[in-house]
Amino acid sequence: MAEPSTAGRQFNAEALPHLDALYRTALRLTGDPSQAEDLVQDTMLKAYRAWRQYQPGTNAKGWLLTILRNTFINDYRRRKLEPIATDLELVEPHALYRAIEDVDPEGAFFAKIVDEKVLEAIDALPPDFREVLVLSDMEGMSYGEIAEALEIPVGTVKSRLFRARRLLQSSLYAYAVETGIIPPREDHDG
Amino acid sequence: MGEPINCREAAERLQDFLKQELTPELEAEMQAHLERCRPCFDEARFEANFVLMLEVRARRVECPAALRARIARLLQSEMERG
Repeated sequence: MAEPSTAGRQFNAEALPHLDALYRTALRLTGDPSQAEDLVQDTMLKAYRAWRQYQPGTNAKGWLLTILRNTFINDYRRRKLEPIATDLELVEPHALYRAIEDVDPEGAFFAKIVDEKVLEAIDALPPDFREVLVLSDMEGMSYGEIAEALEIPVGTVKSRLFRARRLLQSSLYAYAVETGIIPPREDHDG
Repeated sequence: MGEPINCREAAERLQDFLKQELTPELEAEMQAHLERCRPCFDEARFEANFVLMLEVRARRVECPAALRARIARLLQSEMERG
């Protein structure tokens, strides 16, 4: 077996540490473990072949996630299942905090919901919102990095993130009430 | 140090503040507001806890070892082909 070249060693050193982030994001985008595995594998091969375009010292994780997301859009996303983005911009969910500040001011109930249910709720978000939330809040990408990866304006990133968080909070709250993790609000109380 | 901001302005800046995307000046104004306004501080803490919770959940999902090995083999053969 031949030793990897310098480029190969550099790629391994820069890209392999981000496999967890790639897999997690792939799982959230596809909603399916076996598709997620294929997506990560395709992404790593594409990234290796495009390695010369990567500028050393820049954000390798952001670069890889951009390739992953583009691969997902081009090869995996089933467009017929996608809601229309313009409808989503009209969604204006309520702020959960205002509704439950008296019962749970610190949002302690979020921590009581098992991982599986949180991830399910994320997977149920509209795809355009979900990808922004995943890249921002699960992978720690900045507005600018997300805007570049998704080829949308920073303002759109911000508004999608805002709505994604609110939708997710509402859905987790509904689950928490349903399962008795948090008591329901009294109807007469504002 | 800028002008004191009110609760409405603080609410508008909250998301950017939590993303650490405010300019140093705007961030300082926000900090100053949160230090003297309990309701806004409480709301910021609620939202911060929510985002932290998401980050924690994310970190618990790892790339399966078998996939890691498969990718290492694929890259190895790709590298050998040059």
